[in-house]
Amino acid sequence: MMSDTKSIKKKITIDPVTRVEGHGRVTIHLDEYGKVEDSFFHIVEFRGFERFIQGHPYWEAPVLVQRLCGICPVSHHLAAAKAIDQLVGIDPRDLTRSAHKLRKLLHYGQVFQSHALHFFYLASPDLLFGMDAPVEKRNVIALAIENRELARKGILMRKFGQEIIRAIAGKKIHGVAAVPGGMHKTFEPAEREYFLDGKELPNIETMIQWALEVIALMKDYSEKHRSLLDSFAAFPSGHLGMVGEQGNLELYDGKLRAIDADGKITLPDVSTNDYQRYFQEGVERWSYMKFPYLKELGREQGWNRVGPLARLNVCTTIPTPLAEQERRAYVDFTGKRVNNSTLYSHWARLIELLHCAEVMNELLHDPDILGTDLVREGKPRLEGIGIIEAPRGTLTHHYQVDEKGKITRCNLIVSTTHNNEAMNRAVRWVANNVISQKGTITEGMLNQVEVAIRAYDPCLSCATQALGQMPLHVELFDHRGRLLEERYKNG
Amino acid sequence: MWSCLTTGVGSLKNAIKMDKRTLIVGIGNNGRGDDGLGWKFADEAAAWEGVDVEYRYQLQVEDAAMIKDYRTVIFVDAIANSLPDGFAFNDCEPKPTPSFTTHRLSPGTVLWLCRELYGVMPKAYTMAIEGVQFELGGSLSEPAGENLVRAVANLEERFSPSWSFKMKDYENTN
Repeated sequence: MMSDTKSIKKKITIDPVTRVEGHGRVTIHLDEYGKVEDSFFHIVEFRGFERFIQGHPYWEAPVLVQRLCGICPVSHHLAAAKAIDQLVGIDPRDLTRSAHKLRKLLHYGQVFQSHALHFFYLASPDLLFGMDAPVEKRNVIALAIENRELARKGILMRKFGQEIIRAIAGKKIHGVAAVPGGMHKTFEPAEREYFLDGKELPNIETMIQWALEVIALMKDYSEKHRSLLDSFAAFPSGHLGMVGEQGNLELYDGKLRAIDADGKITLPDVSTNDYQRYFQEGVERWSYMKFPYLKELGREQGWNRVGPLARLNVCTTIPTPLAEQERRAYVDFTGKRVNNSTLYSHWARLIELLHCAEVMNELLHDPDILGTDLVREGKPRLEGIGIIEAPRGTLTHHYQVDEKGKITRCNLIVSTTHNNEAMNRAVRWVANNVISQKGTITEGMLNQVEVAIRAYDPCLSCATQALGQMPLHVELFDHRGRLLEERYKNG
Repeated sequence: MWSCLTTGVGSLKNAIKMDKRTLIVGIGNNGRGDDGLGWKFADEAAAWEGVDVEYRYQLQVEDAAMIKDYRTVIFVDAIANSLPDGFAFNDCEPKPTPSFTTHRLSPGTVLWLCRELYGVMPKAYTMAIEGVQFELGGSLSEPAGENLVRAVANLEERFSPSWSFKMKDYENTN
């Protein structure tokens, strides 16, 4: 499986994939001395959804976009819903209290289950068994064998979030939750009790408790591996995220804030409706995925990380007590106002997990979620923009329609595209610091390429709008462009 | 959509008893042409007595908890490979398969997780249905539609009126 960099051309296929959709591809190019010359994280899939949706009536968008991605359909549904609200003349502040809170509960349930999946089944195997562990160890399977209790908790936390989605949307897949100007259905008292009484499902207080427990695990890990966390794939970058009126962490509706690697504001809490004034999307010939950046800073300096690490960097506080306490402990631990180290994404994600649980707890006790005043109407417009903080970061849906309500233009900027440059930098870091000039390429080295990418929890099918699977394909080339090694990891 | 096919049907003896329900899991995405075959199959099966139906974009870890309460589970998904009858019904064996992202698990891995985490495991099968076009769009291609009809008829035949009896027949002829 392994090959020496000086060996003759050798092609190794680990796991043939007969049909590859939206797959990620990492290529690493060595010079004649075996030193890494360049590296790329490519996406090799045609982006088709923005064109596909043209011509459809706008009210279909929140339903159709759920087909974009099987991993975060609710995020797309809600971002589209916010945009479609504007097409019917409704801004976020115009929604009824019940509709706003139900959407928020849906959103926080989605982020909660997504973050739980990432920690328990993507991050924790790397952390528990080590980056150099064989692939058989670094996955959910080893976790199930060696820590059943943790694996079962992960499943129940994931299930809790999914049951929230099911309760609000009617079903877990392709439910109809948001409609133009509001929500389709309210929460029933019996549904609320299901999440509070703990009879059929561990209740929301248990979710908070378990979130605290996994944060404690993460802290313990961080104490023991501080130098790794500080150094692995650490590089300066901008950070982008949504904040509330007080600069607080906000996931559903707020203003956009960006800072540079030192904490200097580069985007000063601007309205999401103005995103086009500030952002440009670059393209590269070697990837179908776009590269968004701040116009004012340009393509080289204006790119930003998004997602948990970035959100905790841009916010000044978290508006729930336990998560705020944990945020302070996290900032104290790192000793930095702005954290530029990739692996701290995991800890940041867990603090958000706790925050989501606390917000769900508040909302489940709020009588407004049982309200029946659910829809508002306004004066129709021809353009709508919806931006939310999805689990992986800032997600933008932008639609223009004609007088008959048919979509004439659609622009999507998904979280993973914001992180495109960051993932490329992370791969480059591993290539330069772990692979370069080592003579032999070990599986453990290539595993670290995966670890660097996985910290961003990329959704490649989402980023390329190519629904379905997202395997990873890693290739290593010598200075003559000869393929030295090739590996597939199925999605 | 499955990209490979498990082969062979083992013993179906005692596979199905009606004291616990049977679950049919339709996997895929009906926004991408023939990848909607799994869901279309589940739509049909929803009318069958004694059968629960679930829809999934992809299988995930929590599906191990979902299947643990069933006696029989049938995973249905589209497949791009060519199949002699347009579909293939096979045993599904527990098999842990590592993946890069864990955003998507195979039926065998879900089955394996169920056994590891909960100490129980349903009898499981896969129904793969051949599709030919997987581009954006909600409609099935004509060949896929025909394959769906054949696959539904095949399983319905075994299901009604007595699932266990028909399964025995199937075993004898295979």
